[in-house]
Amino acid sequence: MGPRILLVDDEQEFVLTLAERLQMRDMDSYAAFDGPTALEQVRSHPPQILIIDLKMPGMDGIQVLKQVKQTHPGIQIIILTGHGSEQDKINCMNLGASAYFQKPVDIDRLIAAIRQGYETVRSDDQKTATFDRYPKTGSWQP
Amino acid sequence: MPNPDLVPDRDGITFFGTLSAAVTHDMKNFLAIINENAGLLEDLAAGARNGAVPVDPRKAALISEKIRKQVNRADKMIKLFNRFSHSMDHAQESVDMEEMVLLVAGLAERIIRHHDVFLTVTPALVPCRIQAHRFDLLNLIYRAVETSCEILNNTPGENRKQVTISFGSDPLVPEICFILDTGTASGWDTLFDTSKDRALLDRVNMHVKKAGPGGNGFCLCKTPGKQ
Repeated sequence: MGPRILLVDDEQEFVLTLAERLQMRDMDSYAAFDGPTALEQVRSHPPQILIIDLKMPGMDGIQVLKQVKQTHPGIQIIILTGHGSEQDKINCMNLGASAYFQKPVDIDRLIAAIRQGYETVRSDDQKTATFDRYPKTGSWQP
Repeated sequence: MPNPDLVPDRDGITFFGTLSAAVTHDMKNFLAIINENAGLLEDLAAGARNGAVPVDPRKAALISEKIRKQVNRADKMIKLFNRFSHSMDHAQESVDMEEMVLLVAGLAERIIRHHDVFLTVTPALVPCRIQAHRFDLLNLIYRAVETSCEILNNTPGENRKQVTISFGSDPLVPEICFILDTGTASGWDTLFDTSKDRALLDRVNMHVKKAGPGGNGFCLCKTPGKQ
């Protein structure tokens, strides 16, 4: 099974079509149309990859990025925006985004970023699993 | 072509930049939806070529309809933007204020939505025209919309954030009124009180007066005695 992806964008037609294309590539994708719903989805059904727009009514993508990185630092976040400056890109990457794209995006480039993010998640999971095998205190006997 | 004698000042350029950014953002979204739907058709065609699943004609028609809808949205936005771009062509002329309000509402739809504000325009019952420079009048109407959104967002409470724009009933006293669902009349004393706003009002020969049942609104009115 591929990565679990949450897509967040107030343009519903865009997000639903992109979700369908990702599902055709065996990626488990689901959608939210605003920031608060996205945060609720992250709490109840955390994704491995989060793809978010920057400009949304109410809560914008930067606020979602900051909050998710605080509560779920392992989630890989990809920015996909129709209105981003070079400074926005720098800000997002400094806040922990793993990739940044302008709309319209080439699907192959987006898929490559998703796969790279998924590899990071799996690698982090493996490190955590290995770490958990070691005792927290005392000596380690191989 | 824009009239070189009517080059906007710094404030006017800022206004032009704000609306241009909103319009190009909308255009990017329309293109992104068209791009994804075209890509979905490609995916379906590739699946059919590989013998996986034949393309469902109803699905193909649905995707085609979605693309057409976005082309129509883009076409509408480009037409509005073109009219906006030509607003600098002439000096003072007789301008239909309702037409200008609808132009601002269409161009700034995304900005208004991002303020979580609902804007309703009540059609004018009588002709509502004024002698003005179109670009300056558009700038003033946008400032009024922006001010309305700011007031609503700074007003505590759970009220639905609604602005209703209407027009005066006397063609000799043209006015545009902005009524806000704030339920309060506080914070109105400094309305359009900056030197930039006063200069803009002066250029279009208009002034501001309080309006609405609880003083929860304002009107932009033609200043008597001025052309």
